[in-house]
Amino acid sequence: MSNDTKKPYAQRIRGALSFRKLQQASILLLLVGLCAFASYRSPTFFTWTNLVDNLLTNAAALGVIAIGMTFVMIAGGFDLSVASTTVVCSVVLVLTMDVLSPYGAAVAIPAALLLTALVGIVLGAANGVLIAYVGVNPFVVTLSTMLVFRGLALILTGGGQAKQVADIPLRNQFNWVYDAQLPLFGQSCQVSMPIVIFLVTFCLGIYLLRFTRFGHYLYAIGGNEEAAWLAGVNTHRIKAATYVLCGFTCAVAAAIFVAMTATAQAESHVGKELVVIASVIVGGTPLGGGSGGLTSTLIGLLLLRVIDNLLTQFSIGAEYRKVVTGMIIIIVVTVDVLAKKRSRK
Amino acid sequence: MYSNDSVIGTPFCNKSQNGNGTPNAFFAFGNPNPVLQMQGIVKEFAGTRALDEVDFDVRPGEVHALIGENGAGKSTLMNVLAGRFDDYTGLITFDGRQVRITSPRQARNMGIAVIYQELSVLPNFTVAENIMLGDEKAQRWTRKLDRASINAGARKIIEYLRFDLDPDEPVGQLSKARQCLVEIAGALRRNIRLLVFDEPTASLGSEDIDKLFGVIKDLRDRGLAMVYISHRLAELPIIADRVTVLRDGRMVGTKAITDCRISELTRMMLGHDLAEAFPQKTNRPGKVILKAEGLTRPGVFENISFELREGEILGIAGLVGSGRSEIVRAIFGADDARGTVEFRGRPIVGRSPSLCRALGIGMVPENRKREGNITGRTMAENLNISILDRLAGRLGFQSPRNLAAHATRMIKQMKIDPPRPQMDIQDLSGGNQQKVIVGRWLAAESKVIIFDEPTQGIDVGTKSQMYRLIIDLARRGRAIILISSELIEIAKLADRILVIRDGRLVREMQGRQTDEDALFAECGRKDKSE
Repeated sequence: MSNDTKKPYAQRIRGALSFRKLQQASILLLLVGLCAFASYRSPTFFTWTNLVDNLLTNAAALGVIAIGMTFVMIAGGFDLSVASTTVVCSVVLVLTMDVLSPYGAAVAIPAALLLTALVGIVLGAANGVLIAYVGVNPFVVTLSTMLVFRGLALILTGGGQAKQVADIPLRNQFNWVYDAQLPLFGQSCQVSMPIVIFLVTFCLGIYLLRFTRFGHYLYAIGGNEEAAWLAGVNTHRIKAATYVLCGFTCAVAAAIFVAMTATAQAESHVGKELVVIASVIVGGTPLGGGSGGLTSTLIGLLLLRVIDNLLTQFSIGAEYRKVVTGMIIIIVVTVDVLAKKRSRK
Repeated sequence: MYSNDSVIGTPFCNKSQNGNGTPNAFFAFGNPNPVLQMQGIVKEFAGTRALDEVDFDVRPGEVHALIGENGAGKSTLMNVLAGRFDDYTGLITFDGRQVRITSPRQARNMGIAVIYQELSVLPNFTVAENIMLGDEKAQRWTRKLDRASINAGARKIIEYLRFDLDPDEPVGQLSKARQCLVEIAGALRRNIRLLVFDEPTASLGSEDIDKLFGVIKDLRDRGLAMVYISHRLAELPIIADRVTVLRDGRMVGTKAITDCRISELTRMMLGHDLAEAFPQKTNRPGKVILKAEGLTRPGVFENISFELREGEILGIAGLVGSGRSEIVRAIFGADDARGTVEFRGRPIVGRSPSLCRALGIGMVPENRKREGNITGRTMAENLNISILDRLAGRLGFQSPRNLAAHATRMIKQMKIDPPRPQMDIQDLSGGNQQKVIVGRWLAAESKVIIFDEPTQGIDVGTKSQMYRLIIDLARRGRAIILISSELIEIAKLADRILVIRDGRLVREMQGRQTDEDALFAECGRKDKSE
């Protein structure tokens, strides 16, 4: 056993460059390669309009949810209810703005946003309590709440009619959440509000995950929950907190979606939870948790979006895009499984 | 709350009065009072007494070994101590206070740590992060994690314990023995008064065992109280001060190690001489039926070649972790490996468990719960599973009458008692479960049967039946491969013995020439060349 620390330096470096890191690097490489290929084949790909206005702005809302999902998944959890939670939040946002509009924008919009955030937190907490404190399997809990929340949204909208932001007097005061352009890189290269919201959430998330005790414990729980519990970590509370955080990010995403589509529809975003989970997994956070992080989620998200964007540019239909996306997830996860098998031998 | 009384030094507890955390002794010496005293402990599982009025105590600066056969109750006793049950009766006095331990966390907080065979370290964390888990500091307002203090704290402990560990290395990359050191260090940081080792050497190589013994002796000299669970009697004179023997949930006795011999301990464990449990051997090896050549799985075992004859019992001896189970798994096709296996002179191409079953090779796996039982199904279903195709009627439909008839026949043949085919296999005793799994392969009329730890966790009576069964199978021309940690079983049953050490076949012995002690020496011997 004494040869563990006395290994040659090169060997220890190789150990540090674990396969997981190599895998992440290879996904980044794939992303860069795809971008290079795209800008070579399509003159419109590498333009500010396409990349920032189109690709990133569209990805921002799902990206915010993916941040919450990363927290849940690093701690070994799973959340299928994010799309439904987002829909409930959207509906609540539009309804409260409608109801409160007589009080003026200065009251109605902050109040509505606050309530929406609260709803997101409560729905997340419902998941969290059932999973962390009661101990029901996260897949079962969130599969059920996915249905429950979706039904809730249908009830709130009276059977699924879309609530149009256009119908409410405040619409012009709320549009900034989507429309506002910040001239960060000069007037011709503006950055849209959703991207800013995403970046702020992302930075907060990075801080929480990498620099706080909470983040440290998420990895501990994902690595070995029993050991963390025995060491005195309040695993229940921390696991529940990840679902609360995830619910909150759904509320933030709901605000972006409402501003973007100017509507809240109870039957929208069906299946988006899988896109979110896919980007987290493709990025490199494994099911079961314990490793991964927000940077890898960002890379995973961008990879899926770039492929999507690329296929759109080559006018390939949505049906094929689904096939391609699914296959990429399989390839990435298979490579991961094979790598783990090999490193065990 | 259980700490910091007069005699106790608390080397690393941040809450100690010894605020600068200067390492000092764990305990004052010359303290005659036991750290732990258990009196009249009773624990029942569904009406059967797993522990029956057991007394046990540990003094500071002592290693108290707890031995007994599988199922004797030693793990149950330690699980009581670790807080895994809340329905035991009896008195526990810890640190002079009467306590009732009802949760693992409470046990931990009181100062009891159990190092299980299955280590509970975080593979994704560094050594330092593992050691300091649960005691991280964060800044007041920013909630920023203080990584420097994690490293500093861990370094201090590692230095104090004189462990050979690098705080920055990820634990997942360490050897099993070093992971064990990490867990010990993490436990000792938390003001631990009593450290329990549950079969720590079961998965270690001989060098690592020496190293671990060094660590245990060092801790003992510093005054820590330790419990050492094992069924390897040969280790005890090296490591233990006192020995308590359990049998069938009852205490047989406690002795100072200097007062007793191994053979005496064996008799205490079994209640009689083990040799009596072995029947006369009546089998005669015939012609070669299975031939393995150059079996290799990098890092696990290398270049294993041997022959197996009809009617022969071939023992594979080696420590746990030497690769012996992996070798037979590879033969059975459960794991991939390079090399060839010939069955009746023809190589088996694309080995897999289903192909081996079709050829007539069966395996009774090591881990009954995980690899053997189909839990939640009945005894009959478990018996029939390997020959469903043969029991099927026309068009592949299963005939309930055939199935029931066959199950009844097997139950009779295997002497399973109670003979109730509809019982859930989980509710059977370990011995009966094992009979069901053996019966499964008998039914499949296997020509070669691999037994991996066939007597693990079953009582002596059933063991004796199992020995008779194995010999009987060999007498009727079946070829047997037998793996067991109980080396006496191999010494008594096998015609030929392959000794595996660190994944290599180091010796082949004739069964009649050897005994338990010689085999143990052979399995654990260090390679002088290294």
